[in-house]
Amino acid sequence: MSKRMVFLVFVVLLLLATPVFAQTGATGTTNWKPVGAAIGMAIASGLCGLGQGKAVSGASEAMARNPGATAAIRFALILGLVLIESLALYTLVIIYTVN
Amino acid sequence: MHEHELWLTAIFNNRLAGLANSILGLVHMTAENPQRPWQNWIVMELLVVAILLILIPVLKSGLSLDKPGPLQQLFELVYQFLIDQTREVGIHHGEKYAPYFGTLFIFILLMNLIGVIPTFESPTMNPAVPLGLAICTFFYYHAMGVKEQGAGRYLLHFVGPIPALFLLMVPIELMGHFARPLSLTIRLYANMFAGEQVTMAFLGLTKLVIPAIFMGLHVFVSFLQAYIFTLLSMIYVSIATEHEH
Repeated sequence: MSKRMVFLVFVVLLLLATPVFAQTGATGTTNWKPVGAAIGMAIASGLCGLGQGKAVSGASEAMARNPGATAAIRFALILGLVLIESLALYTLVIIYTVN
Repeated sequence: MHEHELWLTAIFNNRLAGLANSILGLVHMTAENPQRPWQNWIVMELLVVAILLILIPVLKSGLSLDKPGPLQQLFELVYQFLIDQTREVGIHHGEKYAPYFGTLFIFILLMNLIGVIPTFESPTMNPAVPLGLAICTFFYYHAMGVKEQGAGRYLLHFVGPIPALFLLMVPIELMGHFARPLSLTIRLYANMFAGEQVTMAFLGLTKLVIPAIFMGLHVFVSFLQAYIFTLLSMIYVSIATEHEH
């Protein structure tokens, strides 16, 4: 029951965003670049956050389970985090290239 | 946003504009603004090179086996760290490659950190500088692979583990190889650029403490990105020079 409520609240909140479409009638030339940039960067950062969270969680559990291998696990963790971070940064570069 | 000239760039533009134009003319290029051809990033890069060219002979003249000074101990620390990293990555005799990795690490680190000084700017903030470093790494690891294994055997690696699939594997391997310098470039450039932009953004919002915190984060990211660039170069060299025992 609460999941359905959450879903309905979400839908109502999205419907509240309809004024965004009002601009097109007035001038005829909307600038979608900032909107696209914001949405793209938000998705990239969110997914990057999820990926890095999973990496840190796996590394923490492994270090807790096997404290002797901490150095090797830390190495793999830092490497993994930087590579995931760079994926979000590619999106940032696209934003600066397009805008 | 980027047209602001630093004081050092202004000195270069006032005195040495002709030199820059003639060097650009040698490769048939013209500056965006021939009156003021020096850009911030090249001046800062030359400054870092000058600092290193002064630092290394100072280090060399003070080398001592019995009583090492602090500068020698610092560089020994960096050297040992890099050699340990090559061992961890799987390169057998890392000392062969230590000159390149040492140069890469110290050069990138100094370039990243010079932006923290008030009237200077990190040259790595401009995409040209990380691109140059990435191209150097690209040619270096291919050259080391060819030197270690001979040209024929090295080229055979592009075929992949199953030779019968070479029509599929060769384009994929080539794309992967070209993706490497691209990712190295963008990673370093975007991290440095974003660090400065974030500090600038917060400087516009709250003038006092918060920008300093983000600048501290930027310093940490500078170290990390220099390390990661060097580590990835080591990994590429390790993959290129691996022997199947």
